[in-house]
Amino acid sequence: MADLVLDIKDLVVHYETEDADVHAVNGISFQLGKKTTLGLVGETGAGKTTTALSILNLVPNPPGKIKSGSIVLDGVDVLKLSQEELEKVRGNDVAMIFQDPMTALNPVMTVGEQIAESVELHEKVSKQEAMERAKEMLRLVGIAENRAYDYPHQFSGGMKQRVVIAIALACNPKLLIADEPTTALDVTIQAQVLELMKNLIREYDMSMILITHDLGVVAEICDDVAVVYAGRIVEIGTADDIFNHTHHPYTEGLFDSLPNLKERGEELQPIKGLMPDPSNLPPGCSFAPRCPYATDACSKKVPELRPVGGTSSSKHMVACDAYDDPKFCLRRNKDGK
Amino acid sequence: MAKKANTVSTNNDVIKSRSQFQEVFHRLLKNKGAVIGMIFLLVLVIIALISPLAFDYETQVIGQNMADRLQGPSAAHWFGTDEYGRDLFARIMWGSRYSLIIGFGAVTIGLVVGTILGAIAGFKGGIWDQLIMRFIDIFYSIPNIMIAVVIVSVLGTSTVNLVIALSFSAATGFCRVVRAAVMTVRDQEYVESSYAMGLPTWKIIAKHILPNCLSPIIVQYTLQVGTTIISASSLSFLGIGVPAPAPEWGALLSGGRSRMRDASYLCVLPGLAILFTVLALNLLGDGLRDALDPKLKK
Amino acid sequence: MIKYIVKRLLQLIPVIIVTSFLIYWAMNLTSGDPALLIAGDKATPEMLEQIREEMGLNDPFLVRYGRYMLGMIQGDMGESYITGKDVFQTFMETLPNTLMLGGAAVLIAVIIALPLGIYTAIHQSTWKDNVGMVFALFGTAMPNFWLGLMLILLFSLKLGWFPSGGKAGFSSVVLPAVTVGYGLAALIMRTTRSSMLDVIRQDYMTTARAKGCSERQVIFRHGLKNALIPIITAIGMQISMIMTGSVLAETVFSWPGIGRLVNDSIARRDNEMVTGAIIMCSICMCLINLVVDLVYAFFDPRIKAQYAKKG
Repeated sequence: MADLVLDIKDLVVHYETEDADVHAVNGISFQLGKKTTLGLVGETGAGKTTTALSILNLVPNPPGKIKSGSIVLDGVDVLKLSQEELEKVRGNDVAMIFQDPMTALNPVMTVGEQIAESVELHEKVSKQEAMERAKEMLRLVGIAENRAYDYPHQFSGGMKQRVVIAIALACNPKLLIADEPTTALDVTIQAQVLELMKNLIREYDMSMILITHDLGVVAEICDDVAVVYAGRIVEIGTADDIFNHTHHPYTEGLFDSLPNLKERGEELQPIKGLMPDPSNLPPGCSFAPRCPYATDACSKKVPELRPVGGTSSSKHMVACDAYDDPKFCLRRNKDGK
Repeated sequence: MAKKANTVSTNNDVIKSRSQFQEVFHRLLKNKGAVIGMIFLLVLVIIALISPLAFDYETQVIGQNMADRLQGPSAAHWFGTDEYGRDLFARIMWGSRYSLIIGFGAVTIGLVVGTILGAIAGFKGGIWDQLIMRFIDIFYSIPNIMIAVVIVSVLGTSTVNLVIALSFSAATGFCRVVRAAVMTVRDQEYVESSYAMGLPTWKIIAKHILPNCLSPIIVQYTLQVGTTIISASSLSFLGIGVPAPAPEWGALLSGGRSRMRDASYLCVLPGLAILFTVLALNLLGDGLRDALDPKLKK
Repeated sequence: MIKYIVKRLLQLIPVIIVTSFLIYWAMNLTSGDPALLIAGDKATPEMLEQIREEMGLNDPFLVRYGRYMLGMIQGDMGESYITGKDVFQTFMETLPNTLMLGGAAVLIAVIIALPLGIYTAIHQSTWKDNVGMVFALFGTAMPNFWLGLMLILLFSLKLGWFPSGGKAGFSSVVLPAVTVGYGLAALIMRTTRSSMLDVIRQDYMTTARAKGCSERQVIFRHGLKNALIPIITAIGMQISMIMTGSVLAETVFSWPGIGRLVNDSIARRDNEMVTGAIIMCSICMCLINLVVDLVYAFFDPRIKAQYAKKG
């Protein structure tokens, strides 16, 4: 397919320490088309950030190690690139926005310098030109350009995240990875920053991977959604598939644990139990121990992703062996109809 | 369910508190450097204790024997003899007594004085803190060796005065460490609740605050003993420490210096004694730091 | 910024007054009778009394101290009764030698320790790291006057590469500077290593990598400048140690600096010289500490902003 920006196949990443071998990512595969935004949803520790770092081949090593898989970015396997080739890709083809803007900026460099650095690294421009670009980028993210000479500590959290976005977009990347870009911000600021990102992505025809645990954010921005649990994708599809034709018990659990504004009297239904320890994953389906539908068969074999069919789009896949039984249906879907 | 969870956690706490010392000791034993340091220090303490039995101070340690002067290391004199024919081995062994007594003595005095001052400064704050810390700052602004010089010239040259002089700089270190530790612990809620329960201040300090400052104090103590042993030998080397003919290691070096050309062992060996002793203390101190606060290690 | 410097200088005044008072008072306890020193053994009690009266030695202690301080402001700290030299002048003549030795020691220490600290941090928990840590361990445990003796033994007596003492050209400063510098290097290395280890884990380092910076750029452009602040603090904290080290190294190498001046003066029981030199030393230390504080501001915009606010 020509219009793919990113194609990840069977990515496996472990963190190997003296005490334990942490299986952070256990065979994740997904594809990302041009101008598409994919939401990567899951709990803390599900392996979302590790997946994102792998795309830039930036998993901290040691202890992190990409064990197998391929990450084809615009026809090139990132994992096979040399260090120098990687440096050309980073920031230029793929850029990343980090979770905490408070710590993502270098405290001893002006924000202008930090944006300009990215331009200088990838384009043959003079220092002045790079600085001009930096100011342009600042204006683009809604910051007055004379603030280019200020240091990060002189900015508020939301403003810092705008600067981080400016750094990421400075070289007009094809793919933007945003790792929980709004988690550390106030709710009102969150909306502003999301709006800004949405507009910029449309304007620049970029693809984006948005990592989040906030389903509201996903609904607002994403075209596609992949739900990650314990280092595996359990359900993937278009936003419509996931929200309106939920098929995986874990996804259902995520929705049930959201407060429902229409029926306030109803109690929240959190998913029982905790995420399994990634250094000691249960055999079979990792969600089985918490799954209300689980049978003995579930803990025997790791379920493969299977197409859902029916009213869903062709992209919709789910990793749940309960669907071996053609009559199986989630509670959520039963109630709805 | 909730109740059950509670009892479980209390049980855990009991187990934890009972074995905290063992836990630290266990971690310490895993650290090779610290174990080597501990063994070396143990041997040194034994040497210091038995050297009066092995050597006679008047005849073997300070007694001159011009017939045997400047003999190189041999079977009869393992470390050779100095320019007065005194056996260097006997002198170095005996010297461990001086280094250990001065080191531990000065630092212990410093510990007591410094901890009291630091606790007052950290706990009372305000004018007390200002007064004490400015005072400490002043001592900090004069090189330690100069303070010792002033004190020794006021009091006269003797081992006791040397200990007093060195305890000053040790006290400033403890004062800072304890003050910092007290200030972090002071505002914790369990201390506030003790206040609310009406405990007298000194009891709060003794019961809640000092035990929580123990780790930095232990580490500081170990490392400070090493520093103090070096300072003591430095002052003796300059001739304002332990007066001759006592075999303090720094004094031995000072004596050997003039014979560097023909009897270099007189300069090498006492220095090695200082080096290894301080090395052992530092290894133990670093090990203790890691064992007491495993979070800091990585 | 200038306001801040002026403010700091003003704050120094009470510190200097108290420090000098303590030293003056302590040294006053020990001093013999200067009149006796001047007049010699044959002086009659009347002559001694007359000299005392002329020199103001019979005035109350505080008056004498006040007179001493007034003199000091004008650069007059009396003269030695033993050598007859002017104290302030002698100190000022000797000071450059000590500053030179201290400066050379800091230079050597930084040149060795900074790269070594960064290197060991990058290769944490490998044998390279361990070798570096052993270097540091010995540096903190070695009495530096002994190191000086060993250097003389090896490099001047055995190999004859450097002179064993005195001050004569570049080669004479090498051994004393290494003597003072090694302990300092050990300290700077440990601080650099731990500071760098701390910085390496920061998010902005990942940001820099994600931008496409090479590993070298990440470490030096983004890491080092952040790691420098604790390193400068460490150097600043060790000024007292450098001074102490210099006193000993100067004695070992017969280097004509403050340390030797003080040491010789003690041996001569030259109280005026000792008092003056120690008071001047502590003033110098205060000034150097101030300079160190100002250097932070240069490296850390956050501190600079604070100074500007306070100033």
